[in-house]
Amino acid sequence: MFALVDCNNFYVACERLFRPELAGRPVAVLSNNDGCVIARSQECKTLGIPMGIPTHKIEPAQRRHLHLCSSNYALYGDLSARVQQVISTRVPALDPYSIDECFLDLHGLATDELEALAHSLVHSVDKDVGIPVSVGIAPTRTLAKLANQRAKRQPHASQVCVWTHHDDPCLSAWLRELPLNAVWGVGERLQSALTGQGIMTAAALRDAPQAWLKRRFNVVVARTARELGGTPCLTPQELDVPRRHILCSRSFGRSLNDPRELAEALRHHCQQAGEKLRRDSMQAGAVGVFLRTNPFQDQPQQRSSLWACLPCPSADTRHLNHYAQQLLGSLWRESHAYHKLGIMLAELTSRRYQQANLFESHDSPQQERLMSVWDNVRQRFGHEALTLGVQATNASWRMQSRQRSPRYTTRWEELPKVSGR
Amino acid sequence: MHVDPHSRPATDKTIPDPFARSASGFPSPADDYREAPLDLHRYLVPHPAATFFMRIADDTQARGGFQRGDLLIVDRSLTAQRGDWIIAVLDGELCLQQLDGNRHRSWLCPAHPDHARIPLDDEHDIRLWGVVSHVIHSCRRQFCAN
Repeated sequence: MFALVDCNNFYVACERLFRPELAGRPVAVLSNNDGCVIARSQECKTLGIPMGIPTHKIEPAQRRHLHLCSSNYALYGDLSARVQQVISTRVPALDPYSIDECFLDLHGLATDELEALAHSLVHSVDKDVGIPVSVGIAPTRTLAKLANQRAKRQPHASQVCVWTHHDDPCLSAWLRELPLNAVWGVGERLQSALTGQGIMTAAALRDAPQAWLKRRFNVVVARTARELGGTPCLTPQELDVPRRHILCSRSFGRSLNDPRELAEALRHHCQQAGEKLRRDSMQAGAVGVFLRTNPFQDQPQQRSSLWACLPCPSADTRHLNHYAQQLLGSLWRESHAYHKLGIMLAELTSRRYQQANLFESHDSPQQERLMSVWDNVRQRFGHEALTLGVQATNASWRMQSRQRSPRYTTRWEELPKVSGR
Repeated sequence: MHVDPHSRPATDKTIPDPFARSASGFPSPADDYREAPLDLHRYLVPHPAATFFMRIADDTQARGGFQRGDLLIVDRSLTAQRGDWIIAVLDGELCLQQLDGNRHRSWLCPAHPDHARIPLDDEHDIRLWGVVSHVIHSCRRQFCAN
């Protein structure tokens, strides 16, 4: 049996934890640079604010009722780790799926204990961390994901849904009405392809012949069908294409043309990309840089990217930055006002399986050691403690986050303040 | 595999190296008795996932020994008991309060002797946020971050 634990309106719940006055009020969390709405409270959904709406398009009348927060990933990341920690002490195996979801492998637990386990997870995460979660339990991950959707809609708000058998009558009835795009791993394109073949509901996909699905679509679709029928055969890794790129980019606070400021922003992204790379024990074989102007402004437009293949895969930030800066130099045009800059790393390979190159050397042990010290210093003393070149703290390319709440759990100077009243 | 984000890195030097030898001369007779140094974080924060730090904003709870700038360690996993100092949500605000009560009812003690106690009942919208397990008072001024 598998469970999917999902934090309800996670970003909003994080904001409300330290600001209880936001409870019951419509709250929306904005993307990097306060560009658009990326998370909404239930009240905000009820107001009719759609997901992804650009911030400036929210009507003033609605905006007056709405509390807008800039995203505060330091806070969300810390609370997400706490949620996972609380859950992991209570189950055999936990597999994080995203910042607010994780799969649990419940092998070996008695079926009649599952309902109680689900309730105890909801209770303990709420008590220990203060984040509301919902739990769906079913024989496969695909069904667990559906059970979780169901749990959120339970009328008595228990936030728990357990299907111990795939032929549970309530489940079967639901699958007959469920549109395909509600199924894990079925995107818009696949849905229309399946609809074209006369498969309209989750139940129809479940009952379609395996061999035909494999031939007409692919093995993942066939496995999704088997998962709907109660046979576990998919892991999150199979549905998500393994990380083949790393992308670090951001829109600037304002338009930029100064090559020095652009170079500084690129160095910043390089450092982040390098850290992500090393966290996954990977190395990159190619570096790309892209640069674009603001398409919504009437001015000369540019939207271009360049790639460089490294002579040898590397995970050394300085090395990656060296190539990226050269690419930026080739992309940059005088008199263009740039809006967004980013770095991409591709041809990612594991550092454990390096192929020897006759002419160029790999990252030396000294380089690897330097990078691990680098990562440790930045993790311990903050990202400003050690940087590649000078990084202005209030640089104009930095994120706009006018409404960001304090980083309550990760900064001494931003701890919540309490008084006795 | 789940990696505990609050655990210490593997390179931490608090664990004695079993193969350590002094660079020259005789091995120390204390080597067989070396123990890890006392870890204050483990002592103060037995439940890292449920523990949050807060700062005292003013001297309103001075009678409990809380002074402006003190650091509170708040453990949400604890169950509040009579006499505990707690963080409560009062009118949408996080407040430091002392819990009291008898066998039938619980209430929050007033910070000021002239004020009435606030009963925990359906009439008052009060939620318990967490239990204060420790307060750290710095004796030197520069440590007070306010």
